[in-house]
Amino acid sequence: QGALSDETLATESGVDALLTGAYAALDGQYNNGSALNLSGSDAWQASPSNWVYGSIAGGDAHKGSDGSDQPAIDAIAKFTSDPSNGFFNGKWRTVYEGINRTNSTLRVLAKATSVSDAKRTSFTAQARFLRAHYYFELKKLFNNVPWIDETIETSAASSQPNNVDIWPKIEADLKYAVDNLPATQSDIGRANKWAAMTYLAKAYLYEHKYADAKTLFDQVISSGVTSNGLKYALVNKFHDNFDAATENNSESVFAIQMVANDGTGTIASANQGDMLNFPYGNSPFRCCGFFQPSQDLANSYRTDATGLPYVDAYNSHPVKNDQGVASNQAFTPDADNLDPRIDWTIGRRGIPYLDWGNHPGADWIRSPGQTYAGPYSPKKNIYMQATQDQYADNHSWAPGTAINLNLIRYADVLLMAAEVEAQLGNLDQAQTYVNLVRARAANPVNFVYKYANDATPLAGYSTTTAANYKMAVYPAGKFTGLGKDGALKAIYFERKLELAMEGHRFFDLVRWGTAEATLNAFFTYESTVTTDIRGGHFTSGKSDYFPIPQRQIDLSTSSGKSSLTQNPGYN
Amino acid sequence: SMARAHDTYGQELLNRRVSLQLANLTVEQAISRIGKEVDVKFMYNPRIFTQQRIGALTFTNERLSDVLDRVLGPAAISYEVGGKTIILKRVATGPESGPNVEKPVPPITVTGRVLDETGAGLPGATVLVKGTSNIGTATDADGKFSLNVPDGNATLVISSISYTSQEIAINNRTTLPDIKLASDVKSLSEVVVVGYGTQRKKDLTGAVAVVNVAELQTQPTSQITNQLQGRASGVTVLGSGQPGEAPQVRIRGLNTFGNNQPLYVVDGVPTQNINDINPNDVASMQVLKDAGSASIYGSRAANGVIIITTRRGNGKVKVQYDSYYGTQIPKSGNVWNLLNPQETAQLKFNALRNANPNTAINDPLYGSGATPVLPDYISPQGAKEGDASVNPALYNVNPTYNSADQYNSFYRITRANKTGTDWFHEIFKAAPIMSQNLAVSGGGPQGNYLFSFNYFNQQGTLINTYLKRYTIRSNSQYNIRENIRVGENIAFSVTDNPRVNALQEGSAIGMAFREQTIIPVYDIMGNYAGGYGQGLGNASNPVAVQQRTANNKGLNNRLFGNMYAEIDFLKDFTARTSFGGEIFMGNFHSFTYPTYENQENTTTNSYTENTFNGSNWTWTNTVQYQHNFNNTHDLKVLVGTEAYKNQGRNVGGTTQSYFSFDPNFTNLSTGSGTPTNYSNYYADALFSLIGRVDYSLKDKYLFGATIRRDGSSRFLNYQYGWFPAVSAGWRASQEDFLKGVTWLNDLKIRGGYGIMGNQLNVDPANAYTTYGGDRTSSYYAINGSNSANTLGFQRTRIGNPDARWEKNINSNIGFDASLWKGKLDLTVDYYNKEVRDLLYTLELAGTAGLGTAPAVNVAKMRNHGLDIAASTNLNITSDLKINATATFTSYNNKIVSLADGIDYFDQEGRRFNGSYIVRNSVGHSIGQFFGYKTAGFWNSQAEIDAANAQAQQKTGNSAAVYQSDVAVGRFRYADTNGDGQITDADRTYLGNPNPKFSYGLNLGATYKKFDFSIFFYGTQGNDIWNNVRWWTDFNANFQGAKSQTALYNSWTPENHNAKAPIQETVGSFSSANVPNSYFVENGSYLRAKNAQIGYTLPANLLKKAGVERLRVYVQAANLFTITKYSGLDPEIGTTSNTNNSSGGSLNQSFSNTTSFGIDEGVYPNQRQFLFGLNVTF
Repeated sequence: QGALSDETLATESGVDALLTGAYAALDGQYNNGSALNLSGSDAWQASPSNWVYGSIAGGDAHKGSDGSDQPAIDAIAKFTSDPSNGFFNGKWRTVYEGINRTNSTLRVLAKATSVSDAKRTSFTAQARFLRAHYYFELKKLFNNVPWIDETIETSAASSQPNNVDIWPKIEADLKYAVDNLPATQSDIGRANKWAAMTYLAKAYLYEHKYADAKTLFDQVISSGVTSNGLKYALVNKFHDNFDAATENNSESVFAIQMVANDGTGTIASANQGDMLNFPYGNSPFRCCGFFQPSQDLANSYRTDATGLPYVDAYNSHPVKNDQGVASNQAFTPDADNLDPRIDWTIGRRGIPYLDWGNHPGADWIRSPGQTYAGPYSPKKNIYMQATQDQYADNHSWAPGTAINLNLIRYADVLLMAAEVEAQLGNLDQAQTYVNLVRARAANPVNFVYKYANDATPLAGYSTTTAANYKMAVYPAGKFTGLGKDGALKAIYFERKLELAMEGHRFFDLVRWGTAEATLNAFFTYESTVTTDIRGGHFTSGKSDYFPIPQRQIDLSTSSGKSSLTQNPGYN
Repeated sequence: SMARAHDTYGQELLNRRVSLQLANLTVEQAISRIGKEVDVKFMYNPRIFTQQRIGALTFTNERLSDVLDRVLGPAAISYEVGGKTIILKRVATGPESGPNVEKPVPPITVTGRVLDETGAGLPGATVLVKGTSNIGTATDADGKFSLNVPDGNATLVISSISYTSQEIAINNRTTLPDIKLASDVKSLSEVVVVGYGTQRKKDLTGAVAVVNVAELQTQPTSQITNQLQGRASGVTVLGSGQPGEAPQVRIRGLNTFGNNQPLYVVDGVPTQNINDINPNDVASMQVLKDAGSASIYGSRAANGVIIITTRRGNGKVKVQYDSYYGTQIPKSGNVWNLLNPQETAQLKFNALRNANPNTAINDPLYGSGATPVLPDYISPQGAKEGDASVNPALYNVNPTYNSADQYNSFYRITRANKTGTDWFHEIFKAAPIMSQNLAVSGGGPQGNYLFSFNYFNQQGTLINTYLKRYTIRSNSQYNIRENIRVGENIAFSVTDNPRVNALQEGSAIGMAFREQTIIPVYDIMGNYAGGYGQGLGNASNPVAVQQRTANNKGLNNRLFGNMYAEIDFLKDFTARTSFGGEIFMGNFHSFTYPTYENQENTTTNSYTENTFNGSNWTWTNTVQYQHNFNNTHDLKVLVGTEAYKNQGRNVGGTTQSYFSFDPNFTNLSTGSGTPTNYSNYYADALFSLIGRVDYSLKDKYLFGATIRRDGSSRFLNYQYGWFPAVSAGWRASQEDFLKGVTWLNDLKIRGGYGIMGNQLNVDPANAYTTYGGDRTSSYYAINGSNSANTLGFQRTRIGNPDARWEKNINSNIGFDASLWKGKLDLTVDYYNKEVRDLLYTLELAGTAGLGTAPAVNVAKMRNHGLDIAASTNLNITSDLKINATATFTSYNNKIVSLADGIDYFDQEGRRFNGSYIVRNSVGHSIGQFFGYKTAGFWNSQAEIDAANAQAQQKTGNSAAVYQSDVAVGRFRYADTNGDGQITDADRTYLGNPNPKFSYGLNLGATYKKFDFSIFFYGTQGNDIWNNVRWWTDFNANFQGAKSQTALYNSWTPENHNAKAPIQETVGSFSSANVPNSYFVENGSYLRAKNAQIGYTLPANLLKKAGVERLRVYVQAANLFTITKYSGLDPEIGTTSNTNNSSGGSLNQSFSNTTSFGIDEGVYPNQRQFLFGLNVTF
């Protein structure tokens, strides 16, 4: 009844469809009339953007919305979750389904004797690339996870232990992909050799194997191209990375391809995992007011008189906000120096919200008085008014969009490479990479300008900037002057500014070993602004990784005993 | 209503086997001999006999009817069965003549009429002169009789099967007043329908509840299963007030994690669905509860079997018209104790101050003063009367918009409803209910027939829910020859039944306790008002939700029935073949309007239409052998085969973006959006061999055995299963040592043991690992497209080829007793069921990946319980009679094991973010509530510090805290494991939705022409999870309507003895973010389900109008309920499957869930007042 056996699928096109299914698991989404992730729980538990686990847990943003809506995220933000918090189970199961699909592809491929050797290699390399991606996710989140590959039968999966470090296996899959994937692909969505090499370099970075990482980053930066053959480069306009019209550009190393209005009447392929993250109230987005950038993040964009950030003391130069000011009351936005990226990252009162009009403040914030999660709205995942017919998907109670989700973009590559160079003592080279990123942002083309007429935002912009943007690259020799630690600090801070709200922050903090100090300072500062994360506390040795979901510990048994060991601090 | 049993008994009597020799006797003497031999009483006027003698006759194991034909035929005497006796009459051959016509005739002729309990003439009743064995007659088709009696002072004894006998003194009258017999269903000679045959009640060895159908039918509802509530011991029924919603029926508790619905056998045809059976058509209903009675249904018996026989005709043509009309009235008052707008605003201010005591409040709706001030307008937010912003000229809303640009340009103007909108009564209105039933029936030696028509129309009290149903039935039998009978039972129904998904977030009922009261139903221009803007919550306008469904309609048709043939052959054998089943089809279409009034609007419009059809058939062939050896050994043997095939198809689609929303325009092809469609097909089959033996020794020792072998297409490696059962009974009262005990009229002790099966929980594809595509989860834009996906596959199912039947191993012990000459009848059963190889769909570890996990035979469950049924009939005076029937049902369910290493599975996450309300766990019963137990509140920081200090001491960790998210005024949880800290190990079982017992009590009385009855039903010891309180009692839980509890009975520094915790703006672990005992309430209740007063008009008044009987009555259903439960209705069913938009067939069950007793907006059972009429022509 509408079902296929693996015998039927053991052909080239059958395996290709299974592989496509393995790519389809990248977004982790499913929709049977309600928005679910692949494992059947709420879509946002398994968003591939890691807006919860990367950005909110990292202090980029608040959960937002209303106090009682998805309160489990607040527990994640505050590191008070116990292992039965359902979010972890949803993410775990969804990512393992991605792994299962790569393994199904490899298993059926082994039976498909008619597939040519070239195709076989390509399918295998793509499947192993994807598998490495999924395990990388698990490694970042949970650290100790069981390894299931195509040689392990479904019935034996639950008895695999999580006491073996999987970095070598991730490396092996990625090396195979680097060695066997072509430089370009006929389909832009497929991984190529350079994506695999970048991913492998990123793995080395996480493992602190800086020399290995440098070798690869050097090649990627000098010769890397996208799947459609574009030489890796930063795009001129920062916001082109967050617009469906300009996606798959030269900065897109590996992205999840999103589709709006795919004919299913659902938003399952339209970045459903981030569906909650739009302004609320009488905004044109209808729902749901989640993922509100933190005041701490806003303050980070403060620049000094020379256009450089306050790497340490940014919270002493707070950005003026409209908390407690009703939308029908007057408010003048901050007039001091700012990095222009703030206004591509944070929606704030009085500044053009893309082409939707000036952000009205309180009217778009769900919690009354903005006391719960602050006064800001997210901005990077927001579609434009001018192209909404094409790129917005309104087939659900909250919006979907066709904007691709960049898992790795070239700015990220440059900043990772900068880290590697700094770790290896090449501070000038590190500064060169950082300055590439800063120079792009500082280009006036990346300033936000006031509308020509506030009442007709679609009609275009004036030449007056919306805020006092003041930004510069680091002057020559600055990093050398700062020394290795100072240079690393500057690089880390640049990552925060450039990649804010993109799901990286928490994993970076843990990787750097700075999570405890950074996040506990964040809790102290941010709790003076909002009520939601009061009582948050990061505990080193525990909070670095999320707990293995209790349900998975209970379900994974081998001769009556659980085969999974809980992470430290959660028992 | 016992006509069928009556016939059956008569047939059985005439089929009794006789062996004897007669020689040189008068006919009367011969009859006397036969009577002794066969243990049957004959009644006659002695004058019918001549002195003629019969010749020598020898009979060897011949049917009584054949014997009588040979003996009586030559004497021109006919016979008919009347009750327990055979009535002899002279064949009417014109004026009596002949040599013996001069025989002395008794001096007095008495005439009279016998009526049944409804006042209709009772044919075939026996009228006998007391103290004689042979002076008597039987009533004719109208219930009339005429009898010559020797003495005007004699007394007549009137009796009939299923009725209590009555004596009446003649007192020298020649015309007696009408004699009304009271129904006596407990009569031991009553014949009940059991698996593939009938049995006298006194011979039953299994646990069978015989339902009093007449009492049952008084409950005004469309569903016979609803009427069953409290009427049969061992049966639990959970229903709701929603028209047409099939209730959940469980026999003896829960037997499986999947579908717990019993098997229904209607006129011999097994089915899973009796939702559309016209309750008026039901003649008898038996519930087979144990293996001894049910396991002949083998693989489908495990949930119990309900056998339904529909009515047949007898006697002269009878036209019966039954009708009622009434109104259903929603509960009045503030049903959820919600706050008015001023109070709501006050609560909001309180909560803001609790969160930030030092921050000034500046609320866009309620201002920045010390106390909140209600605005004149909620849109524009907070506007005052006279503001430029409320100029109606600015208003711009097009309710039928179809573009985002239009939506974004809307200008809404909505006045605040300062007195508050009563949303419950905006969507629940008084609604009519009516039933019109017409039945024509009749019968004679050549056959019988019944035709009925029913029109049932129940409007739901929730607007735009209703059930309209038309049912016709035709049952007929043709007696082709004396030994060949063919017939059919067939019903056709047409149903229109839009329903809502109650008990779930998102239904209009759920919105009615969430939509804030300051929001009016309509805005200034009469379009819908809602929470659009800020601070008014994200609930939807419930009136809009329901009104927008007005054009959503569907029709379901179902043809259900069978045809059969029976032939008697070789003296002792009867062969029967029956072919039956159903054909059903239906469709439903709905339109989803865009919304504009709410905070979270849907801006798309879409039209959905689906149809389904299917059929199944059952072909049953049986041969029965029955023989009585020497009046000592009675043996009945039945063997047979049964084949079953089921198939169906669903198809439907959705299209979006309609230019116009006119229902005459919208169809699947007129929308401009991409159409989506779906279809699926299903099929499964069974083949079975059946065997049954019943043996009775001297009417005292009873033994029964059944066996069935089933083969099912749902299994692969283990397709066949055997289901044996044995049972035995001992009629102790037949023993000599008990014969002298006068108060004990009958006592039978019964016991049985056997295996019943279940296969409902196995998908036909369970055995196979399969792959497939899903456009939302396995398709991917591999080519980078922004508008289209490419085909991709995923694993859809993980196979288990080794699945086999669930085995329900069942033992039963019980007794039936009749005390004080039938004044008290008692049936008591105790049972124990062990369900082995229970099919459990394993939740696989995440590492296994996804795909529907297979059902595996791993779990074990046990049920035990007590069923008691008691009834009594008392004649206080000849005018005043009372009767009472009581049932008691208890079950105790326990999960013994799930799977290796797996001790529980959770259900019902609701808004608890990954924590679940229900835990099904080894050692506990299905459906128990699970969570943290509250132990008061944190009344001071000192209490918190003390608890933390203790936690630090106990754990030796200086950073340890007793409980996370604590704050003064929040819940303190109980440290159930005593480790000094609140962790998830402190979660415990908070309640059980399974009642300790449930009971029903029917009291009836008749006084002269008046009859009165009242029926009570109750459950005891069950808990309810009141999830409505999650929304209404916690300010932080969405900005919706809040309860008086939240404002007036929540924790404050001054009120430590509160019900709810401190009101806040954030949710927390220590308030309502995790399931805790705050939500658990005692769900016990006692309800007067039905009370009725009827009056039967005097017959003589009606005669002129040609009416035989006319009864009128008034009735109140759900008259009152006694309960401590604070919610709308303590009767909480399961989450309803609306079934009208899902493309599901009527066969879809409603009872395949193991979580229940969770109230998140129940569709309440409403009070009903009816006027009714029963007329017979």
